[in-house]
Amino acid sequence: MLDSLSLSSSLTLFFIMLIASGLSGLLFLHPRVPLSFVRIHIGIVSLPPLVALFALINASVNGNVGPWYVDSLAWLMVFFVLAIGLIIQRFSVRYLMGDRSYRKYFMLFTFTTGVASITWLSGDIRLMVISWGATLIGLTFLIRLNRGWKVADEAAKVSARLFTLSWFSLLIAMIWLFVVTGQWQLSLALTNEHLAQLGQWERTGINLLIVLAVIIPAAQWPFHRWLIESVVAPTPVSAIMHAGLVNAGGIMLTRLSPLFNGDIASIVLLILASISILIGSGISLVQVDYKRQLVGSTIGQMGFMLVQCALGAYIAAIIHLVLHGLFKATLFLLAGSAVRRYEVSSRINERSAYLWVLAGRTLALLVGVAFWLTAPGDGYQLISALILGWSLSVSWTQLVAFGQGRIGRIAGLIFLGGSAIIYFIIHNLFYEWLHTTVFQGVQPPMFVVIIVVGLLLIGSTIGSWASRNRSSVSYSVLYLWLIRLGEAKTKSIESHPNYLKQLFLSQGGNK
Amino acid sequence: MDVSSVLTKENENNNDTNKNFQEMDINTIIESASRVIAPLWPISTFAARNPWMGLEKQSFDEVADWLKDTRDVDIYPSASMIRSAKSKGEIDEAFVKMGLQRWLDTHPFNIPRDVAERFCQAALKLDPLPSSLLSSHKLEKAVEEFSGLNLDSIKNSSIQPMSSFVKKQDGEKLIKILDNHVIKWCKVYLDEFQAGWTMPHREEGFYRAWRRLIQYDPALSKHQRQNLKDWPHEAPLALKEALSLMEIPTSEIQNYLEGHLLSLPGWAGMMLWRSQQTSHEQELLTDYLAVRISLEWALIKPYLPLSNQRTESEVSLTTLLASWIHWGGLTIEDWLQMSATEQHEYLSFAYSFDEMLRRKIWLEAWEQTHTDQLSQKLIFKQRETKRNHSTLAQLAFCIDVRSEPFRRQLEKEGPFETIGIAGFFGLPIATSELGSKHSHASLPIILNPQHKIKEYADEEELDKYQQRKQAVNSLSNTFKTMKQNVLASLLLPELSGPWLSLQMVARSFVPRKANRFIRNLRESWIRKPNTKLSLDHEDNTEENLPVGFTEEEKLSYAHQALKLMGLTEKKFAPLVVICGHSSQSINNPYASSLECGACGGAAGGFNARALANLCNLPEVRRGLSAKGIEIPDDTIFVAAEHKTTIDELHWIYVPTLSEAAQEAFDCIEAIMPTVSRNANAERLAQLPGFQSKLKNPNAEAQRFADDWSEIRPEWGLARNAAFIIGQRELTQDCDLEGRAFLHNYDWKQDESGDLLENIIAGPGTVSQWINLQYYASTVAPHYYGSGNKATQTVTAGLGVMQGNASDLLTGLPWQSVMQSDSEAYHSPLRLLIVIQAPSEYVERLLNNDSVFREKVENGWVRLSSIDPEGHWKNW
Repeated sequence: MLDSLSLSSSLTLFFIMLIASGLSGLLFLHPRVPLSFVRIHIGIVSLPPLVALFALINASVNGNVGPWYVDSLAWLMVFFVLAIGLIIQRFSVRYLMGDRSYRKYFMLFTFTTGVASITWLSGDIRLMVISWGATLIGLTFLIRLNRGWKVADEAAKVSARLFTLSWFSLLIAMIWLFVVTGQWQLSLALTNEHLAQLGQWERTGINLLIVLAVIIPAAQWPFHRWLIESVVAPTPVSAIMHAGLVNAGGIMLTRLSPLFNGDIASIVLLILASISILIGSGISLVQVDYKRQLVGSTIGQMGFMLVQCALGAYIAAIIHLVLHGLFKATLFLLAGSAVRRYEVSSRINERSAYLWVLAGRTLALLVGVAFWLTAPGDGYQLISALILGWSLSVSWTQLVAFGQGRIGRIAGLIFLGGSAIIYFIIHNLFYEWLHTTVFQGVQPPMFVVIIVVGLLLIGSTIGSWASRNRSSVSYSVLYLWLIRLGEAKTKSIESHPNYLKQLFLSQGGNK
Repeated sequence: MDVSSVLTKENENNNDTNKNFQEMDINTIIESASRVIAPLWPISTFAARNPWMGLEKQSFDEVADWLKDTRDVDIYPSASMIRSAKSKGEIDEAFVKMGLQRWLDTHPFNIPRDVAERFCQAALKLDPLPSSLLSSHKLEKAVEEFSGLNLDSIKNSSIQPMSSFVKKQDGEKLIKILDNHVIKWCKVYLDEFQAGWTMPHREEGFYRAWRRLIQYDPALSKHQRQNLKDWPHEAPLALKEALSLMEIPTSEIQNYLEGHLLSLPGWAGMMLWRSQQTSHEQELLTDYLAVRISLEWALIKPYLPLSNQRTESEVSLTTLLASWIHWGGLTIEDWLQMSATEQHEYLSFAYSFDEMLRRKIWLEAWEQTHTDQLSQKLIFKQRETKRNHSTLAQLAFCIDVRSEPFRRQLEKEGPFETIGIAGFFGLPIATSELGSKHSHASLPIILNPQHKIKEYADEEELDKYQQRKQAVNSLSNTFKTMKQNVLASLLLPELSGPWLSLQMVARSFVPRKANRFIRNLRESWIRKPNTKLSLDHEDNTEENLPVGFTEEEKLSYAHQALKLMGLTEKKFAPLVVICGHSSQSINNPYASSLECGACGGAAGGFNARALANLCNLPEVRRGLSAKGIEIPDDTIFVAAEHKTTIDELHWIYVPTLSEAAQEAFDCIEAIMPTVSRNANAERLAQLPGFQSKLKNPNAEAQRFADDWSEIRPEWGLARNAAFIIGQRELTQDCDLEGRAFLHNYDWKQDESGDLLENIIAGPGTVSQWINLQYYASTVAPHYYGSGNKATQTVTAGLGVMQGNASDLLTGLPWQSVMQSDSEAYHSPLRLLIVIQAPSEYVERLLNNDSVFREKVENGWVRLSSIDPEGHWKNW
């Protein structure tokens, strides 16, 4: 009783704050409100994530409160989305200064992150679907805010079309689920006895619809176009898109995990996501535009997140999506720093470092195997061990083996060790938070794991093969295909930003 | 008048002897065609670039008309910009009236003067014609009955790429598709550092690599690929082949190529720049055109032959008549009663007094108002500000407009004399920082470096320093390598995410502290050792430039610099401070546009340090004294950098000081906080912000410099408008609002006029280019600017594009010239050069320097002078 009271009181507090920030966003739209109000607005917007953080740290109970479902995963996601929103709004205070739609940006940022946070707090399926739809609408509006610019409008259209498809497929899946189970409460609908009412084909049908619903926001092949075209959006919008919204699929699958387990839909997801990892990495390898490289990388990372989900490693997926979100938001906000200033990277001592490299590889192999042996039966553990070992080998080579002189090597070692420690601390923290609330997935069949490992290794091999056979025809073909996959279509490209002519210069001009 | 056709004709004449198309040298044509674009250098050395540098042989107005016709680019300020300037009192309408009278006097017409005047005055209000009038039926009928106007004389035609006339079924113009292809090929070819996988075969050159790849490009249809499969192996052949297949007449080739170069002037400009850098890419512009026109042919082939290949901008008679009705008070009845000749006269009058001309008159009035206001300021200020105490220190600043407010504040606080000189201090050097293999040409872009000056340190210390630096670099290298590895990239967000988020949060909420912390951490880890400069001449055949100066060169450069600063005839103060300048901003791709334009878009501290070093050398001082320039023993030269974003002076070279020099030094230190505060307060008032009164301007300025989200760290050189060459006494105590470049000049010391010629040729050109770059970015932000900073993406590490892809953008971003989307900050005025010297000096200058004369005559700069009696003269 006491627990649920504190639960509902923290919810109430949270919603008061959320409504306050929404109102503040609306108020700011009014032209009579001075621009300096934006600082107060930032203050107000910082309250809901603080409440969410407080609730996350003190969360001890899970449960439904009215249409809400509250557990540490929900609070974590709410905090994450709102914190990203806050940082991006703070960034925009100076960055968008002077923009014609200055006020609208803040309203839309507040709205979009607000409804996204409601989505992750929803216990009621209807509420979840509606607020997710609202989030997508908010995002589309953000992309097309610069209305005078044809290409922004075009990108918004492409996005809106795909988002609609995604949302309707979620809607149908959820209605179907209701029809079979008779429950609008997600946690009740997903109990074992209710799930047992689902026939095999019904389960597969719903799952396939869910797969469609999640891979579109995650920009997975063959639905990656919207993310490619929406590079036209201003940097803060891109940041919020890549940090807070593309990863919705991971959260949704985690929530629906009891339903989504090891059938044909998982295999479909696994295959599409693995292909996306390769395509995404490929795009970021061949592209030369900073923002487009980031888009490629997001496609790949989201593919990985979905692979984790498909293999039942939901906690790993959540950790990945949160850290990736923060990572990508930072990289987008740093988009102004991508100009090369002349720094010389000397690689003179590559040969003499050969022994060091070899030592690194051995170490990596040992660590990888050891990590795998901690849970050899776990399918995802194998992939995890592979990636961990590989990364260790790569970073060892760069930081330690190629380090210049003693200072370089020692600094490299310290840094490597430091990163590893932080990595494990963060992971433990997340497991601590989430292990009680997240459903542990069923182990996928081993051959599936092997296929994924195989695909990743093939991708890796192609990568190193390509760097050695640059003059071969197949490299040329592969290269050009990857370029093509990463380029926007003609309609979303304009050789000069002609809208600027209209913006100020022709107001009342005499033409 | 169609400017380019004139040139084509010249070209034809040149080729009279061999009219045969096959033998004609395509490279020569390309070279003449390249006048329409300007080389574009990488954004990391964003030195000012005049987009019309190849066109100064024509007048500004001719170029304006030609750009309007060929590219629909308008380079006069827009009506709304003019209106807002007028409301701010920047345009005196009397000058508009005078401009109109002048035009009426010089242009013959056969309608009553008072009618013409009334029409022009109403039209000059720049209000648009009401659309109801334009669509009125009565008007249309009246026009229909008229058919006497000889259209030939008022029709414009220009050569456009053929692909701009063809639309695909979905309404997309072929030229858009062509542009996309070209952008894609250019960026992957030019990139050297961003992509993990580079373009195959790029080492063979642009055209050859493209030719090898095009047969596999999935962005083309199978048929198109097939067409290009057996395309010539060499670029010139391919270009000729495509041109002849598209049946471009020989006489129009240059014109046609110009049209193509102007389609994506940024990428073409980058190709041009690269072709000038290394010998193995010399033919790059030919390659570029060959790729572009071959692709055009492949795209256009199914549509050949084309019927209509010319755009003929038909002059709408309706508009002309409507303007008479709206502005000239004519009624349709009046019109119908006129004879055909009269009607013709009326219409051609309205045609020649067109919209461009009206805005040109306004622009000139705007400029005259500026000239007028400036001359008032300079001539009528009180001149009795003689200081009683002797000068404590002399400080030489760059001519940069940002120096002026700082110098003013500095002079206010004590007995200091400030001097203006181009920020490279006359040293034609390439600089190479400690341990770096790269050298930077630290002088105006138009000059070439003659010497290389390296920073060096103790061998052992250097080695340790390199290791520490490498350790930092290896972090970013590791990040990049992991990003480009399929497996490792999957773990990268989880490894680096926590660190990056920490940075993100800190930079968001405590930007100043966060940036200072990161900077200090870096600096205290790297610990740059004390360094010296390699000023002495070294015999080193490995370098393509001689390292250091010979004894004679040391003396002559020092002498030249002192002469330019006007110090040779003055008494030296105990402390002479040579101040370069640098800017401080983060996360700003345009950081180098805020640096010193006279130092090739980099900080000017290195040059300042080199000069101060030279002037302290005993052998140089001996040599100077032999020339009659006595520098007292207790006079010490030191070097500093003026940080323009925070208006502070940072010392970068301070040798052991004499007692008197130390006193001066301490005095500068003591007043510096006041100077900074006042200068910052003045400057920040102009920058968009939330508070009008700042409690602590220095802290706020520091925030502008350290905040990663700051879109306008400072205004840079926006609002620049004048270049004053003369004594400081002329401008002292004048608030020039940071709009003037200031160069010291004393005509009495320059009997031969060489000094003045040097100033005009070097610093004069630099400031003219800066000025025109700001001008162009303001009047045509989409074409000459580089668009909104928020939607840019850095590409190939070289420059920026807008949105998904675009031309490589060349000028200043929207935010650097605009206060907000609806309010301009920069006033687009052509540079006013003011020379303080007798008229004979200016005349001699114009006679000797034909390039400069051309610029003045053709309206690329304005010229005025003040003679010793204080009379102002506009040239």
